[in-house]
Amino acid sequence: MKRCFLLSVGFFLLLMLSYCGTARRGVPMFDPVDIENQAVAQGEKVYMSYCQKCHPGGEAGLGPAINNKPLPGAMIKFQVRNGLGMMPAFKEEVIPDEELDNMVAYLKTLRKAKEE
Amino acid sequence: MKTSLRLLPLLLLFVLCGCYRILPSNGGGQGSIRTEARPINPDDIALPAGYSAEAVATGLTFPTAVAFDEQGRLHVLEAGYSYGEVFLEPKLLRVEPGGSLTTVATGIKNGPWTGVTFHNGNFYVAEGGEMLGGKILRISPDGNITSLIEDLPTMGDHHTNGPVIGADGMLYFSLGTATNSGVVGPDNYDYGWLERYPDFHDIPCQDIVLVGRNYTSNLPPEPKSEEHVTGAYSPYGAATTPGQVIEGRIPCSGAVLRMLPEGGAPPELVAWGFRNPFGLAFSPAGQLYVSDNGYDVRGSRPVWGTGDYLWEVEQGQWYGWPDYSGGLAFNGDRFAPPGEEPPQPILAQHPNKPPKPVATLGVHSSSNGLDFSRSDAFGFKGQVFVAQFGDLAPGVGKVLAPVGYKVLRVDVESGVVTEFAANEGKIVAPASKLKNGGFERPISVKFSPDGESLYVVDFGIMETGEGEDINPVVKTGVIWKITKTKPSL
Repeated sequence: MKRCFLLSVGFFLLLMLSYCGTARRGVPMFDPVDIENQAVAQGEKVYMSYCQKCHPGGEAGLGPAINNKPLPGAMIKFQVRNGLGMMPAFKEEVIPDEELDNMVAYLKTLRKAKEE
Repeated sequence: MKTSLRLLPLLLLFVLCGCYRILPSNGGGQGSIRTEARPINPDDIALPAGYSAEAVATGLTFPTAVAFDEQGRLHVLEAGYSYGEVFLEPKLLRVEPGGSLTTVATGIKNGPWTGVTFHNGNFYVAEGGEMLGGKILRISPDGNITSLIEDLPTMGDHHTNGPVIGADGMLYFSLGTATNSGVVGPDNYDYGWLERYPDFHDIPCQDIVLVGRNYTSNLPPEPKSEEHVTGAYSPYGAATTPGQVIEGRIPCSGAVLRMLPEGGAPPELVAWGFRNPFGLAFSPAGQLYVSDNGYDVRGSRPVWGTGDYLWEVEQGQWYGWPDYSGGLAFNGDRFAPPGEEPPQPILAQHPNKPPKPVATLGVHSSSNGLDFSRSDAFGFKGQVFVAQFGDLAPGVGKVLAPVGYKVLRVDVESGVVTEFAANEGKIVAPASKLKNGGFERPISVKFSPDGESLYVVDFGIMETGEGEDINPVVKTGVIWKITKTKPSL
């Protein structure tokens, strides 16, 4: 039980610390996002259609930043499917499973972009 | 381990859920804003490798657009009006080598002059019309001003914009809507125009049938008991009924129109159902695109969470205002402000199902002037560059971080949006917030006639306080020139 508690607190602290780092990614301040991978390229288009307006470039805007949160892919998908707070849910008929997988692949690639 | 996995979502919920409601707004004009000076430092602007920026004119008051005459000389508009109810004389200025300014023409206090194009030996200017109604002006190189069309219905929230010349030789311009979402309300009183024009309201481009939904409000100085009931497309205090027909006419609100550059004939409708189609540009293939500022969370019919959009303009189409955003209908479920009811449709029938936007841009980003790259020397040929003025939070709605304040490029085939130029720093924000020497509020972009340089018109400092309180700062506008200095790797 103690181990679980420590793990959760550790994750929570990591999440809080992530708010201190910049969420900026991609050009011009970071390396371009590698969209050679077809799934990532398709995921970028999905992101542009559904996510960009509230999280422009994965940064904060109307909604919070995404790029600097160490969320695992499963958690991102859960949040997209179920919504959270003011964020609406995007069901399968809006973003099919494959497109959601690709969008998560894009987000992970974007998150890893290195500073130039 | 199972317990920790159960705890993780709870912790995430704690951190992320409810954040939006409890966190304060943090727009680019909010907080500690430097208004007393504007240092200039191009190195504070992050650009792709191989590009550099320089300031070619400074000390401008509310600049909005640039154009080049037949000799390739740079000219700039000073708007003569800014949100915050600042009325000045609009001007067309020539930027001399070295950055000094020569006045070519001075207009009357009926700004903002929002856009300019040079065609067949004359400048064509869109006069916003906040005081007397919109106009399209022709200005000769020696400064003679001729009004080609007047009394355009843009004395409200949004103005007469454009103009651009199409391959057909016609002059295309646009008219923004009077209101946020079709209903005149207290927000329009705060903007200033409702007191000047108590009967002004939106005008449809063709006959529409209303649901008959009405909204109750009172104006700020009135006691709460003085309530007024107002319907869509109607003067403040005028209720509407189910099935009521509002007669359409041209010119109308939220539309792209075209006319002969020499004037003399009434304008024709190109498309409508926009909210504030500020930027107009033709692609190298001759297709018209417009940028459109999305709804705000204000007034009697607030709408939450709608982006700005880039549209490909098709003849005769209706693009969705006031009952759609980005192709999505107000179905009584979407776009509800926190703790409020979602907006309901106000039109009983819709002219057509609106198309999907080419690109979706940040909520409240105020995505404005456009231009297409036509040169390999600059790069990104065929992509459209978009200037983002940046949010006016909290008056337009709350944001968790500054939105906009940058120049984007958009691949119009894929809809993918990429940042091109923005201030250095942990976040993108205006220089007055970051306390550096970069961009404040890019409002338009224009490529040089040879296509090798991109000129960015930077409106200057604009502080935003509580509610609709807006404080633009004179003589802080800048024109930046961005050039590719090294070939691509």
